[in-house]
Amino acid sequence: MSGRVIVITSGKGGVGKTTASANLGVALANTGASVCLVDMDIGLRNLDILMGLENRVVYNLVDVIEERCKLRQALVKDKRLPNLSLLPAAQTRDKTAVNSDQMKVLCTELKSIFDFVLVDSPAGIESGFQNAVAGAEEAIVITTPEMSAVRDADRIIGLLEARKDEITQYRLVINRLRPNMVKNSDMMSVEDVLEILSVKLLGVVPEDEEIIISTNKGEPVSGTENVRSGLAYRNIARRIRGEDVPLMDLDALNGTWMTRLVKFFNPSVRV
Amino acid sequence: MQQVINWFFRTNTDSARDTAKDRMRNMLTHDRLELPAGRLESLEEELIAVVSRYFELDKDTTKFDLEHYERRASLVANFRLLRSKC
Repeated sequence: MSGRVIVITSGKGGVGKTTASANLGVALANTGASVCLVDMDIGLRNLDILMGLENRVVYNLVDVIEERCKLRQALVKDKRLPNLSLLPAAQTRDKTAVNSDQMKVLCTELKSIFDFVLVDSPAGIESGFQNAVAGAEEAIVITTPEMSAVRDADRIIGLLEARKDEITQYRLVINRLRPNMVKNSDMMSVEDVLEILSVKLLGVVPEDEEIIISTNKGEPVSGTENVRSGLAYRNIARRIRGEDVPLMDLDALNGTWMTRLVKFFNPSVRV
Repeated sequence: MQQVINWFFRTNTDSARDTAKDRMRNMLTHDRLELPAGRLESLEEELIAVVSRYFELDKDTTKFDLEHYERRASLVANFRLLRSKC
């Protein structure tokens, strides 16, 4: 068996790479696939927190690479989803603890076990990023509709293009979109960002306070019904699996008929 | 009354969204080409100087722009020629 190794990256920090990794891991596992989440943010471990698995980390990725333990010993199985595992980052080391060749070997082993290996990349374009993409064949670029995030995404896309031989496809996820602000022309739209970056879209995730709540609980939103960001992640997971899922209607999620009526007559008014 | 109607149907031309889009496009063009600020302007000046040696130009309609297709930019210059100089 050979699974798919997908790196989740962004360039800029704080745009939601780790949140996306956790949610796509849960959503893909819920479709029945076996999934391994790999936290490559060595020294700044966070993915275990979002998954609610921080108390179960014994060994980590660096321990596996330095052969202090077997791969299976370092994998933390999610009790709620037995087909989902996490390979945590080391917290006390830094990015130099791993090199690209070691990552390639690790990813080869992981994809012989799992259907999907999702690698959560650290921010930046230095060695941490280079190692995270080393073993991957596909990439998901996360951005928000903010200028600085889009600029950094463009830089990352340039670097992925330069690795065309290894990275066969990359697609964009636009995170934290605020449909109301787009409607008021206060923020770039999905179409604006796609036009500027000239890249294929994988999905759009609306801004949602539920993300903060779910992070605090250690339960990614994609495992919860009736949460709009969770639905967005579930849709993305289905698209990753090759299904043709239309984008959800974000406008319908916003405002009452009264606020929509006011905006119809005056698009610039803030309601 | 006209004011009320204008307010009601006011369109947002200088919106933050459009400004962001314009700035973004310009910024990424420079990023992707590793083009320092002002370089394009100096090229424009030089090109006009060269063409002006051969032709009298209608400077008001001279256009000098970068057009985008996918992730590449094309330089599009348009000189309205009035008459030959020699």
